[in-house]
Amino acid sequence: MSESGIIDYAVLIPLLPMLAFPVILFLGRIFNGTPTWVKNLKEGGIIALTVMGASLLLALAVIKEHMNSIGATNVFTWFETHWWEVDGALTDRVFGVGIYIDHLTVMLLFVAAFLCFLINIFSIGYMNTDPINDNRNHRFYAEFVLFCSGMLGMVLADSFLWLFIFWELMGLCSYLLIGFYYERPSAAYAAKKAFLTTRVGDVFLVIGLAMLWNMFGSLDYAVVFDPVEIAKVSSSELQIALGMMFIGAVGKSAQFPLHVWLPDAMEGPTPVSALIHAATMVNAGLYLVARMFPFFQAADIGSLSTLAIIIACIGGITAVMAALIAFVQMDLKKVLAYSTMSQLAYIFTGLGCALWFANNGYEELATFALGASLFHLFNHAMAKGMLFMASGSVIHEMHHAHHEVAHHGHDDDHHDDHHDDHHDDFDAQSMANMGGLANKMPITATAMFVGSMSIIGIPFIGGFWSKEGIIASAWKVALKEPVFLFPAMLVLIGAGMTGFYMSRMWFMTFAGKPKTDVAKHVHEQTPWIPIPLVVLTFMTLSAFILAGMHAGAWLGDYQSGHYSNFFSGVGEELQYVFLNDDPFLMVLTYVTIGLSFILGPSFAMALYGGSLDDDDEAKPWMQWAIDLSARVNKNSNFDNSAWANSSLAYSLEKRLHFDDWYDAAMLKIVVGFAYISAKFDKNVIDGVIKTIESTSQAASAKLRALTTGSARDYIMMTALGTLAIFLLLWGVA
Amino acid sequence: MIDPAWVSGLAAILFIIGLWGAFSRKNAIVVLMCIELMLNAVNLQFVAAATHWGDVNGWVYAVFAIAIAAAEVAIGLAIFLSMYNQHETISLDEVNLLKN
Repeated sequence: MSESGIIDYAVLIPLLPMLAFPVILFLGRIFNGTPTWVKNLKEGGIIALTVMGASLLLALAVIKEHMNSIGATNVFTWFETHWWEVDGALTDRVFGVGIYIDHLTVMLLFVAAFLCFLINIFSIGYMNTDPINDNRNHRFYAEFVLFCSGMLGMVLADSFLWLFIFWELMGLCSYLLIGFYYERPSAAYAAKKAFLTTRVGDVFLVIGLAMLWNMFGSLDYAVVFDPVEIAKVSSSELQIALGMMFIGAVGKSAQFPLHVWLPDAMEGPTPVSALIHAATMVNAGLYLVARMFPFFQAADIGSLSTLAIIIACIGGITAVMAALIAFVQMDLKKVLAYSTMSQLAYIFTGLGCALWFANNGYEELATFALGASLFHLFNHAMAKGMLFMASGSVIHEMHHAHHEVAHHGHDDDHHDDHHDDHHDDFDAQSMANMGGLANKMPITATAMFVGSMSIIGIPFIGGFWSKEGIIASAWKVALKEPVFLFPAMLVLIGAGMTGFYMSRMWFMTFAGKPKTDVAKHVHEQTPWIPIPLVVLTFMTLSAFILAGMHAGAWLGDYQSGHYSNFFSGVGEELQYVFLNDDPFLMVLTYVTIGLSFILGPSFAMALYGGSLDDDDEAKPWMQWAIDLSARVNKNSNFDNSAWANSSLAYSLEKRLHFDDWYDAAMLKIVVGFAYISAKFDKNVIDGVIKTIESTSQAASAKLRALTTGSARDYIMMTALGTLAIFLLLWGVA
Repeated sequence: MIDPAWVSGLAAILFIIGLWGAFSRKNAIVVLMCIELMLNAVNLQFVAAATHWGDVNGWVYAVFAIAIAAAEVAIGLAIFLSMYNQHETISLDEVNLLKN
């Protein structure tokens, strides 16, 4: 059944981290605090890094092997069970474990394995130098590798059942890691909130999977993706099942209306935010929706369009809503969290377009839209992982600087040695306390600069290629299906908004004069942290290579299934984006660039720009932006106080009141339900039990009279009983 | 030889007498004697049936039953003795510890 090759060993990719999980946990328990454990093994970090490195190498080998047969699907079955038929033949597979590799798996596998490895490096720098983590980092690394196992396993799974199992494993690790600082009530609350909110989606996912099972009799990709099988089932039923699964994806990927958990999930340590809540786990929902592609291809034309439209609309709404909320957030990580939601929403819109095209018979356009969405997933994961790690670097150094300032009462006139409990009144994550860090943290600032540009979609960098593709796809659908104008407009507006909030974040953090004493004393000094930042910066900058490959594979010669020449691929991509034959798409490109590159950042510069301190000089590739922002800020006299004091800004700061509404609704539902349950318990359950009790007591009181204690009565009863038995036997005979 | 039917009829009469005595008498020893009477009625029945069918099994059962009845009498009398030590009576009407 399986071909030989490296794919035979692909099972090890999720298996290795899973085996490392108990190893790190128990070794950590035993050797906690010993010098070897802390210094040489970094409290388990080195074990985790070794395992993740091995997984990454294996994953790269698998991907390379798959690249040679691009377009094909490689399946490897590890073991499987069958029912035995009477004549000794095997039935269809009942249960099995295997690996399923196609282009989608490869994309996600690379993203997951690569980022797990890099963020592991970052964690060693971040977690092991933080004094509050003292002696419990083995727990972090154990949960970290377990999570990696879940993600890699979900990507490689060959059936929806295993996908679901690993999906839940990730949910568990997300819960554990958000609540890593469990002594903080807010972290414990955030962990519960994340777990329960995604659970709402998961219930629907289970229902969807049960419906699929009911229709196909199996959840294996090999069975359910068979066009012959899909043609047999009812499209309307299939649409409901896929819709249920989509709700699960909405919960996991933090889309409207189940988005409330993601911002709170930032309570976890920053490496967790980078890995789980930006780069990998939130992509699980996208992966699930992208997996539905074969259904849409094989089902009757137009029969699943409604679901595709819903997916795109949810994406459009979330893209704009999250961007709006990100406008006013002051917490560095919260801005990035809302940005994550917004960018994932872009990918959902792109997938919605791809599914619509696939279902309506536009195969080439569908392939393009799917490719653009997956490429945006890739770019976003790389850039957002990098941004989170950079924000972690900023926060980490802010903490250090704050510690330094508070304890040594540095050179300035500002001495607050009297505040012993300084950790409580200083927020190291608030951008209001930062500013002017560009020259103090050059590597971090550069990483953030490139990452922000990738997310904004500045031409030629990272996310530009993919975001362009998504917006173009959305408009191409809108020309055919007017309902799609709604998400198409939203993603276009969202592009400009992205430009604003990402620029705002960068300028508030890195440009202008330092806003606090602490910000003046920040240095980039922690080892390990810069490595992944540098790697990902180059990765993001070189996305055009992948764009070229993407164009070569998808646009040029997509049916033959082979990459065309990489250079011609880049040429085609450039021509496609900037000089499209279709004047509408060409204008659209320039409108998008105008919104995201000119309009959004300009507003941000006018509001938050400013030059550094006089004797400070940032690196030349950032200095021009800071100078420009200072000039724009000086010349623009832009007054936003009317906006900042409006009720809109207030409700945005309150995250558009979603959390309040959900809390109130939950309170009503839970308390109401509890009231009804209490009534039910008191009246029905207690009533039944009490009736049974009193009835049996009364019966026993009656039966007790039979035991007279008199031997003669017993003899009589025995005799009568014997007689009765004789009569009975006689009657029967 | 006597017809086994007569023997069987005597056994039935003896059994009914024994049963009646076990019901109606309150002296424990008399009740025990009545039970013995019932047992022996059954023995007689066994013997009668064995004679009728020409099967030695009935005689063997009768011998076993006599042996067991002897043991039973020993236990029963021991119980009455201990009862008398405790209650100073062997009247079954006075002894009803298991009531209700």
